[in-house]
Amino acid sequence: MAGAMEKKSNEWRLALPLTLFFVVFFVAPLFLLIGISFQAERRMTGALGLNQYTAFLGDRLNLEVLGDTLLLGVKATLLCLIFGYPLAWLIARVSARLQALLIFLVILPIVTSVVVRTFAWIVILGRRGIFNDAIVALGLSPTPLHLLFSETGVVIVLTQVQMPLMVLPLVTVLQRIDPNLASASQALGASAWRTFFKITLPLSMPGIIAGVILTYTACVTAFVTQSLIGGSRLLYMPMMIFQQAMDLQNWPFAAAVSVMFMISVLVIVGLLVALSRSRAAQLYG
Amino acid sequence: MFDISRRSLLAGAAAAAGTSLLPSGAFAAEELVAATFGGTWANVHKQILAPYFTKKTGATVAQSPMLATAQIAKLTAAKGGPAPFDVAMLDEGPALEAIDAGVIAKYDASKSPNFASLNKKFQGEYGPAITMQAIGIAYNPKTVKAPPTSWADLWKPEYKGRVGITSLASTLGLAFLLDINRLEGGTEASMEPAFKKLKTLLPNLAAVSANFGAHGALFQQGEVDIGVQNFKFAEELKAKGVPIEFVRVSTGTPGWKTTMHVVNGAVKPDLAYAYIDSQLSAEVQSAMQKSPWNVIPTNSKVPYEGLVASKIAKTPADLDKMVFFDWQKVNKGRADWTAQFNREIRV
Repeated sequence: MAGAMEKKSNEWRLALPLTLFFVVFFVAPLFLLIGISFQAERRMTGALGLNQYTAFLGDRLNLEVLGDTLLLGVKATLLCLIFGYPLAWLIARVSARLQALLIFLVILPIVTSVVVRTFAWIVILGRRGIFNDAIVALGLSPTPLHLLFSETGVVIVLTQVQMPLMVLPLVTVLQRIDPNLASASQALGASAWRTFFKITLPLSMPGIIAGVILTYTACVTAFVTQSLIGGSRLLYMPMMIFQQAMDLQNWPFAAAVSVMFMISVLVIVGLLVALSRSRAAQLYG
Repeated sequence: MFDISRRSLLAGAAAAAGTSLLPSGAFAAEELVAATFGGTWANVHKQILAPYFTKKTGATVAQSPMLATAQIAKLTAAKGGPAPFDVAMLDEGPALEAIDAGVIAKYDASKSPNFASLNKKFQGEYGPAITMQAIGIAYNPKTVKAPPTSWADLWKPEYKGRVGITSLASTLGLAFLLDINRLEGGTEASMEPAFKKLKTLLPNLAAVSANFGAHGALFQQGEVDIGVQNFKFAEELKAKGVPIEFVRVSTGTPGWKTTMHVVNGAVKPDLAYAYIDSQLSAEVQSAMQKSPWNVIPTNSKVPYEGLVASKIAKTPADLDKMVFFDWQKVNKGRADWTAQFNREIRV
């Protein structure tokens, strides 16, 4: 008994390698980043100050870009949820063999590089792309639609590219819901929709929130998709950070922009986590 | 099934991580790491420069395609330790920044016999110019019937929504803006005329590509019919069968030097000199001048031939007639111009 207790109390050591890895490759660079953001001069002379933050907050364009980016994430995440939920629901219900096939199809996009996937979308969405050729051939529009280099295009591509991040947590949660609960609800006279809204949806809330957090953070930071599909006339935060860090070699400002962006995303994620806690409290008392 | 595929995914990821952790060619006797630009430059360096260098020195070279600005960022980040690569390849503006940041070394001409064959203006103190870049208008001859002759053609109403330019992240985008500014009466110290003119181009723009790589794809996919382009790049696309024609603009061809440098803290400086010297040799430069590469030579022993002679310069004096900019001043203004560019072209 005492041995078992000792074993248990030593188990935390299993987390040490990962912790160490995180401290060296994540926490340390993060602090470095925060430190650099307080450098007052572009050349990082050592003078400290809040210059970079006041410069960021002092320009309305920066705040607009931040707002656009956070909103872009909301749009793409909502679409992921709307398309992903029925898919996950289906996957949780079909036979094991079909389930394997569907899950394989869902994760297929992650297997290819994001650059390749995004270039494929350029071919599809372009002015002379498959989609526009079909639209024009069917007579739905006399001229090709403006999809590439538009926010609509970016949202469409993000929805496809990030879909697995929404579907996989949803499948896990939906599979765990006891099917007897839905049967009981229906036996007690609830319609299929009522059963869904009263039983399935609330019970799948943890999956929805996990999926939303994953998808949202991936969408707002999707540099490759945003810049290749959006072009330069749509500016989002990752591109702005890249411009400052690489094109202009202004690391302190790039760091400050990154910190502001990170805080904004963390606030949103924090709200979602708080929401999930309150839901859990409601459901499980 | 899910488990299996997840496991194989993990195995794949682990394998990929493993290979990337190994320094490439760690077991080769001597290997130089050299930066190059992406796309056409990476190809020409792999096919012509690398074999020549290996034949001459017996060492191999790993060529890593990187934007000029990314090279400077990596060198700056590695300052004080061994450099991540030994040879940098930069355009004129970024080269000045690299000198400023202290990441490239003064070029020791005594270690580079071919340096003496360069025209004086290509013998940079911090490294030689390996070529001149020249820009003009590229267009799709299938959709643009009257060949354009000047930048003003991009403003023609018939090209509404058909014009492509690039952001100021590329020297191409910068040089275009600088030249518009010059023609509108501005100087590197005041870019207002260019921005005013740029605003009137907005209705014609189909795309502003985020970088030079994305810009080439626009022509290939028919996203744009006409736009600014680099001579060498347009000619390579044409050789590949893309419907594209390059023309010089009547107001003078804007150009700049592209240079190679031994970096500060180079791990193998001798090989770095041998590599750059190979790039300066008459053999390499005349091979690179041939189609589809069309690299403008800087070695005075290589006469201009082919498309370089017919489209850009027949004699070295023709190169002097190109339009040049003061990159020192450009670097000073670039941060402000980028901010203004972001603001004005934003949808």
